Amino acid sequence: MPADARACAERAVSEGARLVWIFADRIEDKPVLHYVVDDGELRHWVMPVEGEVSSIAAGVPAADWYEREIAERFGVTFRGSIEGRPLTRVEPAETLRRHESGEVSTVLYGPIRSGVVESARWIVETAGEDFVDVYPSMFFKHRGLEERFVGTPLELAPFVAEHVSGATASSHAAAFCRTVEKAVGIEVPERARAARAVLVELERIHQHLDSLAKLADDGSLSVGSAVTFAVKERVHRLLCDATGNRFSRGVICVGGTRFDVFERLRACCERDLDAAERHAIAAIDGLTGTQSLLDRLIGTGRLTKSEVEAYGGVGPVARGSGISCDVRTRDGYLYTPLRGEEARERNGDAVSRALVRMSEVRRSFQLVRNALDANPSGEYLARGRLSDGSALARVESPQGELLYFVRFANGSIARVAIRSASFANWPLFVPSLPGNIFTDFSFIEHSFGAVQAEVDR
Amino acid sequence: MSWIGLGLRGGVLTTRYPLAPDEMPGAYRGAIEPLDAPAERQTLGANSCLSNAIEPGARRAGVDRARCFQCAQCTRVAPDAFSAIPHFELANVEGPADAVRERLRRRARTFGRSVHVRHVDAGSDGSEEQELMAIFNPFYDVNRLGIFLTATPRHADVLIVTGVVTHAMREPLMRAFEAMPEPKAVVALGTSACSGGIFAGSRSVVGPVSAILPVDVMIPGTPPAPLSILHGLWVTLGRAIARGTTV
Repeated sequence: MPADARACAERAVSEGARLVWIFADRIEDKPVLHYVVDDGELRHWVMPVEGEVSSIAAGVPAADWYEREIAERFGVTFRGSIEGRPLTRVEPAETLRRHESGEVSTVLYGPIRSGVVESARWIVETAGEDFVDVYPSMFFKHRGLEERFVGTPLELAPFVAEHVSGATASSHAAAFCRTVEKAVGIEVPERARAARAVLVELERIHQHLDSLAKLADDGSLSVGSAVTFAVKERVHRLLCDATGNRFSRGVICVGGTRFDVFERLRACCERDLDAAERHAIAAIDGLTGTQSLLDRLIGTGRLTKSEVEAYGGVGPVARGSGISCDVRTRDGYLYTPLRGEEARERNGDAVSRALVRMSEVRRSFQLVRNALDANPSGEYLARGRLSDGSALARVESPQGELLYFVRFANGSIARVAIRSASFANWPLFVPSLPGNIFTDFSFIEHSFGAVQAEVDR
Repeated sequence: MSWIGLGLRGGVLTTRYPLAPDEMPGAYRGAIEPLDAPAERQTLGANSCLSNAIEPGARRAGVDRARCFQCAQCTRVAPDAFSAIPHFELANVEGPADAVRERLRRRARTFGRSVHVRHVDAGSDGSEEQELMAIFNPFYDVNRLGIFLTATPRHADVLIVTGVVTHAMREPLMRAFEAMPEPKAVVALGTSACSGGIFAGSRSVVGPVSAILPVDVMIPGTPPAPLSILHGLWVTLGRAIARGTTV
């Protein structure tokens, strides 16, 4: 255990690495901090907490939310951290600071908002139409999922992962299982790896379509939204037929898949995948050909490349600002690796993020076909022996890089920590707003495509 | 091609359900059917259930559908004692079905021919919202049944709550309910909202919706399929009978 993991991480970031995650654990009742960075490879340092820890958030903005969560939920004190409102605790409305001057007013937006949306609160300071400043107030949906894992039998633990974010259940189950497999040393059979790749790519398709359909709806494009939601429905029907659940839940397990889902996926995709792809491309072409929608998206919610780098953004949000960060090109978890350039755009606005999603939808159809065509034979499940240890692993969820940390003690799960892509990206929502007007809020929000459930856990 | 052209070319996709029957794919794990089996086989299934939905019985086990989150793990460890069926009409009410239906029907009469629904997320996993949105897509199009979404509780007849109720959402949820005019109905959508699901008994959450609000109709499912939601809303309006959750 190096004495100062914090200093190692800070130095790596100053040399160009990306801060991925800071999280806390308890070993023999003493808190320890884990620092994770990516300099082309994942680097991971651990240190015991003795007294106060110096904050690195002043130089590394990406550290801010992690440090605040650890401070508020783990009781670790960070010296010199950025002052701000609590992130994970709900402030009573009465105690919120309100502006005295008549020009700027404080608006509490949420936790219940109009439409069918997840609960979250934004404290918005606005001068009529323009955003002045925005503060997030999260964790309204905190369900204690990391604690729910502790002691859960390994057979059943992937079901808990699927409850972290039901909309991206396969990504969460795959990330959790990969982490356990790495900790314990299980080699997943090829057939199961191919099936997982198909499930995660189909999930990416339905989640990207969800985000695009909501953008179309924000732009009052009723038919465009209905057509796009209809394609999403086709993917859910395909998954339901192949896996028994519309969000492909209950399929991925430690060591492979719970049943030989690959064969079912192949049959259902043979029947329905071409039609789904045809409809998806028609919807995407329709959206990119509708000037009134593009007008609302171009220049909206702009994030510069340096802002995204500073805050450690991932997924389509980062790729929309020209940053290459797709786990699929690196870790080789997919059965057939993603070859060639990642989908990237340069402008960093809402339309760039939408265009990235559109390219990824097209490419995901291809990745599904590649995995199905490979048709690896053999077992779909490998068994391993549980041993104490820990590991960290990641997958590319529809929202971006998703990491799990799992530690075993005395033959059962002692600690699970989750770094979701939505959590990594939400701090960027704050710098994306100034310069925009209130009616742009939903466009920017949907261009992020975040799942609040995986932020709050 | 124009949007109108694209929309028309798709043809009519919309189900006639609940006015005519519809079904889920045969592989859908909607509900667990207990089979006659020895006690130790029933217990094996019960021990593999993360949400304690299974109670071993004399000849066959009891399965609480409000607790079942459709993982079907019991059917894998004890296939002779449990089987998964593609059943989707899972809505449940408290009390005798006929009496409840009459009460719901009387109340629905005051809603008139159109019903306005308000949604509140009390701590969902994010998929229940997407399935609730799906009932407005062209495959289900609930507007044809006179069911509409409304942005404010003041205009709402029916409150749909998703997710297990978290500590932070308890008060906002109560306030939304209190802001609704009488008569009103409350629907718990999803297994976590109905019973707490895998969070039942956890100190991190308050509990199921019924812990703080009078729930009229429960629609289990993780997440409930759009057809299940349609059925549940039809039950809420007194147009269909709920069959009960325990089988």
